[in-house]
Amino acid sequence: MIELKKISKWFPVNGARSYVLRHIDLTVKPGEFLSIMGPSGSGKSTLLNVIGMLDRFDEGEYLFQGEEVSKLKEKQVSALYKQYIGFVFQAYHLIDELTVYENIETPLLYKNVKSGERKAIVADLLDRFNIVGKKDLFPTQLSGGQQQLVGIARALAGHPGLLLADEPTGNLNSKQGEEIMEVFTQLNKDGVTIIQVTHSEKNAAYGNRTIHLLDGWLQG
Amino acid sequence: MIKNFLKITWRNLNKNRMSSFINVGGLALGMTVTILIGLWLKDELDYDKSFDNYERLGQVYGHVTTNGKIYTGRAMPIPMSTELRSRYGRNFKHISMASWMENHILSSGDIHVGRKGFFMEPEAPGMFSLKMLRGSQNGLEKPNDLMLSESAAKALFGDADPITKQVKLDNKDLVTITGVFRDFPENSSFKGVDFLASWQLYVASEPWIQNAQDSWDENSFQVFAEIADNTTFEKVNASIRNAKQDHVSDEQKNQEFRTIVHPMRDWHLRSNWENGVLANGQDQYLWMFGVIGFFVLVLACINFMNLSTARSERRAKEVGIRKTVGSERRAIILQFLCESVFVALVAFLLSVLLVNIALPWFNEVAGKAVTVPWGEPVFWLSGLVLSILTGLLAGSYPALYMSAFDPASVLKGAFKAGRAAAIPRQVLVVLQFAVSVTLIIGTSVVYKQILHTKDRPTGYDRDRLVMIEMRSPDFYGKLDILDNALKKEGAIEYMSESSSPMNGVHSNNGGFGWEGKDPNLTAVFGTIWVTNDYGRSIGWELVAGRDFSKDFGADSAGVIVNEAAVKYMGMEDPVGKVVTWGGNRTYHIVGVVKDVVMSSPFEPVRQVAYFLDQENVNFMNFKLSARMPVSESLAILERTFKTVMPGVPFDYQFADQAYAEKFVLEERVGKLAFFFTFLAIIISCLGLFGLASFTAEQRTKEIGIRKIVGASAFTIWRLLSVDFLVLTLVACTVAIPVSYFLMHRWLQKYTYRATVGWELFGGAVVLALLITVVTVSYQALKAAATNPVKSLRTE
Repeated sequence: MIELKKISKWFPVNGARSYVLRHIDLTVKPGEFLSIMGPSGSGKSTLLNVIGMLDRFDEGEYLFQGEEVSKLKEKQVSALYKQYIGFVFQAYHLIDELTVYENIETPLLYKNVKSGERKAIVADLLDRFNIVGKKDLFPTQLSGGQQQLVGIARALAGHPGLLLADEPTGNLNSKQGEEIMEVFTQLNKDGVTIIQVTHSEKNAAYGNRTIHLLDGWLQG
Repeated sequence: MIKNFLKITWRNLNKNRMSSFINVGGLALGMTVTILIGLWLKDELDYDKSFDNYERLGQVYGHVTTNGKIYTGRAMPIPMSTELRSRYGRNFKHISMASWMENHILSSGDIHVGRKGFFMEPEAPGMFSLKMLRGSQNGLEKPNDLMLSESAAKALFGDADPITKQVKLDNKDLVTITGVFRDFPENSSFKGVDFLASWQLYVASEPWIQNAQDSWDENSFQVFAEIADNTTFEKVNASIRNAKQDHVSDEQKNQEFRTIVHPMRDWHLRSNWENGVLANGQDQYLWMFGVIGFFVLVLACINFMNLSTARSERRAKEVGIRKTVGSERRAIILQFLCESVFVALVAFLLSVLLVNIALPWFNEVAGKAVTVPWGEPVFWLSGLVLSILTGLLAGSYPALYMSAFDPASVLKGAFKAGRAAAIPRQVLVVLQFAVSVTLIIGTSVVYKQILHTKDRPTGYDRDRLVMIEMRSPDFYGKLDILDNALKKEGAIEYMSESSSPMNGVHSNNGGFGWEGKDPNLTAVFGTIWVTNDYGRSIGWELVAGRDFSKDFGADSAGVIVNEAAVKYMGMEDPVGKVVTWGGNRTYHIVGVVKDVVMSSPFEPVRQVAYFLDQENVNFMNFKLSARMPVSESLAILERTFKTVMPGVPFDYQFADQAYAEKFVLEERVGKLAFFFTFLAIIISCLGLFGLASFTAEQRTKEIGIRKIVGASAFTIWRLLSVDFLVLTLVACTVAIPVSYFLMHRWLQKYTYRATVGWELFGGAVVLALLITVVTVSYQALKAAATNPVKSLRTE
């Protein structure tokens, strides 16, 4: 499903190249739960962004479901986000001016899902993450763990096949973190491919494969 | 989805009250200006449209080529109408002679009112589509028929039916009311016409008019026409071109007379003829204010753009999130445009309220009776279109700018708009201030021109000078009685009569001659007949010779000329020289006076000859005594009038007021320009204030650090203000040449004009800088006064 071949990314610094990713070869199959680990600045978030097509790469080839990503137009990328990819962020990134309910509903609006169906999907997600009581609250009125649950619920609203999570538990205490990881495990069991970036060995262990990055190089 | 957008919009507006206020308020002010100007434009463009046959009505004008210059006038001889009817009849549906629109006295019993009206032929009421309330449009068939306006009827008869009632006209002719018509609307050339009387009565009323019936030389009347259905003004004008030329006397053969019909649709806006062609008329003000209205709205839109993009960091995260959940750029553009259109709609509702508040004042300044057509769907539809266009314009740049955000960078939280991102904003601020400074300079020039012209020496003393029009035979032959009575009571210093009032030269005549005159020159003089004390009552200034005086019996053969006339005739030592007029009459120049400004104060005074005559006069002039309060003198004047001439209303006008009326148009333009400039500045300041507060907020950390390392409050203030001052200066360098060009052109239409010096531009620059400093300083000082510990903690 995901095939990276010799992917490199750099920034120009004073005429020289400062590499963030070097010759990354990586294949991710459907149904995997991959953890990307590495110290700060090792390039793991950048790698996730490249996989999520949020960042461009400078060299190499990236095939997503057999299609060359570098040739995708903005519209096609948007379509992938709508139908196939869900994002979960360390800083949750909820829209502050929308309620919990409205935040989860947003992707469905872009998918042109009918109102009745939207209600059903959002209600289902609220129920699943046990946040029905919070649906009319604004993000700032929630705890970090609750916000992240909303973030995951939003990512799942469009029924994605691939969930990309950038340190999803980074801002949470350990108990909240465990809950989130349990959710991920369950999702993976349900068939969702997950790629997460994490600092924590413990969290990485929830996945079924772990890769390590150091200074942009894929280790071992 | 739209619902979702609107929710976000509303919550954002609610959250950032300050910037919302600036955004909505600024747009509302801009739209208020646009709506007011729009209503004004519509009113101007609808001028005279109340006449049913608006498109086919016109007035006969003549172009006369004299000494190589073309003069245009609408004074016509009576045979013109007969000629047009008989020889050119197929061009016309209706033709009517008309008197000038003059004041006349209408009396019913003890009620005497002075009202304006026309004497016209029977076709006129139908031609001008009078809206009859009583009687029919056939009400001018008989010589003693008279039709009244609704308001005149009310003044004379109250609520009673006036039909068949009798009224005395000018205390002389008994006429019968045959109809009552609805008053002409404010934006009509016939505004204030309160009666139509019969042309036959007019002809019979005065011997000179009877004599004029067959004279092609007595150009003292008007001719109105409705052209035939199957033709155009161009065709008619080609056809009637020589209507007058064919009848001029031999001595006038060296002049060319071209006859045209000037269409009613041009009367109000385009009646300013220069050398035979239509020059800039009122319509230039339509353009001017149209452009101002547009620019003020643009200013408001710029505010919106500036604040939206400046605050975009706050929305950046949202854009990033939306993109990662699958929103295309298009949908984000759509969202921001929805927001701006929504804001514009809110602003429109607010501006409707503001328009309602400002309208009475606006009408007074603009001399209009504009109303907001609340009930008309067209108004609301236009408002909706205006809001949508404004919203799209204001939202366009922010939408394009913000929708381009790259989700990866904005979501990393690293997004900080760099210095380059501020450049479009700076360009917009420059544009905004350039427009404001241009308006400031423009308004100053208008005012300078008015003041300059008002300062012009007028050659007579307007103080305590009262004029009364001699509107009926009652006034004539009363000069000595009034003079003696009023002097005895000490109410006046001098009294005189004259053929023209102080604020106009009512007759111009050709046929003048003098020694050394170029035989090819058709010499035209302003001619004014006066009584002995004229010069003393108006306080003119003699530069040579003497005034008319009773001590010289032969003064009826004397003439006083103004300096312009001396120059015109090219005389060295004019006093005592002979001027001939009309071939055989000779006059000795007894005196020369300084030019008296009677016509436009913006134009040079033309040559005028003053003759002594007791009969050929139409106005009384009183110089009130300086030893008595004006109100007391007036009371005596009124009492004396009532005794000497019962049955005439006491209607007087002060010469200084009459003179001031000559500035009405310019002052109106000045006041409106001032008002719009003021609003433009307010709008620009709102934007600047918002931008300054944003900058201060964004640089909180920097300011905190600077304070910790020892920067003084002044340094901080300078740090934040100097950028804006530079922008203002750049704006000034744009505005100065533009405004110089525009105002230079505007001034060209005045012969007597103010010089626009550098001090005016300098003043505008200083004003703009001051406004900027005051606006920006509040934020700068607030930032400078913040405790650095506090500001650094928030980072």
